[in-house]
Amino acid sequence: MKRQIAYFLVIFIGFLTLLGHFVNYPTLNNFIDNDATQWFDIIAAFAAFLGVINLLQLHLNKIVYKRKNWNYSIVTLGGFFIMIFFGFVFNGSSVSLGAHLKEEGSAFFWMFQNVYLPLGATMFALLAFFVASASYRAFKIRNFEATLLLISGVLLMIGRVPIGQLIPWWMSLEIYICLFFAIIASRIKNKKYLFYSLFITMICLPILIFSLGLNSLYIFKIPEIQEWIMDVPATAGSRAIMIGIALGTIAQSYRIITGRERSILGD
Amino acid sequence: MKNYLKYITLPFLIILIYLINPVNLFLIGNEMTFLFVVILCFVVEFFIEKANNGEPIYMRPIAAIKAMEEAVGRATEMGKPVLYVPGISSLDQIDTISGLTILGHVAGMTAEYEAKLHVPVCVPIVMETAKETCKESYLKKGRPDLYRKDMVHYVTDDQFAYAAGVNGIMLRDKPAAVFFQGKFYAESLILAETGNSIGAIQIAGTGSSSQIPFFVTACDYTLIGEEFYAASAYLSGSPEMLGSIKGQDYVKVGCMILIIFVFVFSLLDGYGIIDFDITKLFRTNVVK
Repeated sequence: MKRQIAYFLVIFIGFLTLLGHFVNYPTLNNFIDNDATQWFDIIAAFAAFLGVINLLQLHLNKIVYKRKNWNYSIVTLGGFFIMIFFGFVFNGSSVSLGAHLKEEGSAFFWMFQNVYLPLGATMFALLAFFVASASYRAFKIRNFEATLLLISGVLLMIGRVPIGQLIPWWMSLEIYICLFFAIIASRIKNKKYLFYSLFITMICLPILIFSLGLNSLYIFKIPEIQEWIMDVPATAGSRAIMIGIALGTIAQSYRIITGRERSILGD
Repeated sequence: MKNYLKYITLPFLIILIYLINPVNLFLIGNEMTFLFVVILCFVVEFFIEKANNGEPIYMRPIAAIKAMEEAVGRATEMGKPVLYVPGISSLDQIDTISGLTILGHVAGMTAEYEAKLHVPVCVPIVMETAKETCKESYLKKGRPDLYRKDMVHYVTDDQFAYAAGVNGIMLRDKPAAVFFQGKFYAESLILAETGNSIGAIQIAGTGSSSQIPFFVTACDYTLIGEEFYAASAYLSGSPEMLGSIKGQDYVKVGCMILIIFVFVFSLLDGYGIIDFDITKLFRTNVVK
């Protein structure tokens, strides 16, 4: 019975919300746009208490029973109680409690500015190193797709920095030649032959291009190429994924509001 | 054939009523949205009925979904836990709901294999739902004894503090399998790279298109776009759920045809052969 009520609520609210987007009935529209979201916020606010209780239970249990890595729990609880103390007990400024959270001189504000924000920024800064390590793995020439990624990655990196604007046509050509030889390198066993071919191509091809008057071609302007990569293939790919996501979202929502998708309730 | 006739007449009637708009019943401006929602729902419903009638449904094998059981099996063999990260958004996001539906299946697998499951959560309301999901899955598999109350636990609401917390869990517990299924933002790469550094088999799935490249780079398997939403239906294996995916795929084919159609019309309009901007039809302008 308990589960049937849950299904009924999911189906009823689901259809009601869907109707709210198409039916011209201000009461319903208002309910969907304002009341329902407020109800959700109220429930979520109550759940916040459950979160706090869960956090305390988990870490206190760890400390009391000296479970594996229990000492880290002391740090977690220490941080939790210190912020509670500065948030609810100790003010440290002339304004009243509550308003002190945004008052510059308060102890809570100081903790927020000098401890919480730098810690968050540190985590965010780590992203730069993770991007570097992930790019290194992704740009390794393993197959055709990885090679494409490498080429577009190199072009985007060069094209997006100010120095990219200053790169002359012949240097762009040399980059293309190097990339081409990087792709075919694994197929040529004789490395001496590969080196000579690369060397000759790097000298002769620019001369040939210049003598044919092809040096003003669009392909030799790296910033323009990166703009094209972002505007055409990247946008096309991301839009294809977006269409898939939109269709998947509608189908998934339909399965949920018709009561077919019940995994969330353990079925 | 007679059984299937309703899938043509009914949507046609609904759309007709919407377009006639008696007593100003419907909102003006999002007819196209309504049209596509109705078409998608009826196509999905049509294939669900076909599947229920016993028609065989072929599903393209999705490596990431097939690898889920392997990952749990690997964790069991290695005697290490399975880490499940349901993203950092609340239940108002379909990605979080999809992540939780997949959690139901993964929890079923860990119950079956007797592997340890660990679900650190960022939003308290998601924690409560995830707890219920895991509890029911363990109960359904006949292993309520394996369910632990601290299996699903709250970490923090803050994005990067949560990432730091989950990274800490990964580095200390060294899980053999890590699942990232839900809505992710900038923390996705921080989490996935840490998982990669500990040598865990990682399976990601998200509807955040900007985070997909990070997961593709750092994880072993990634559910891209609609695969993520179809994963739960795929894992359930029930004909009606598989039928719904089939229907969704047919609508996708329809979208492709429509894109070509719009492209050709736009081209003709651009060159002045016809005087009709077809893209105007697809602009929604809801007037409430």
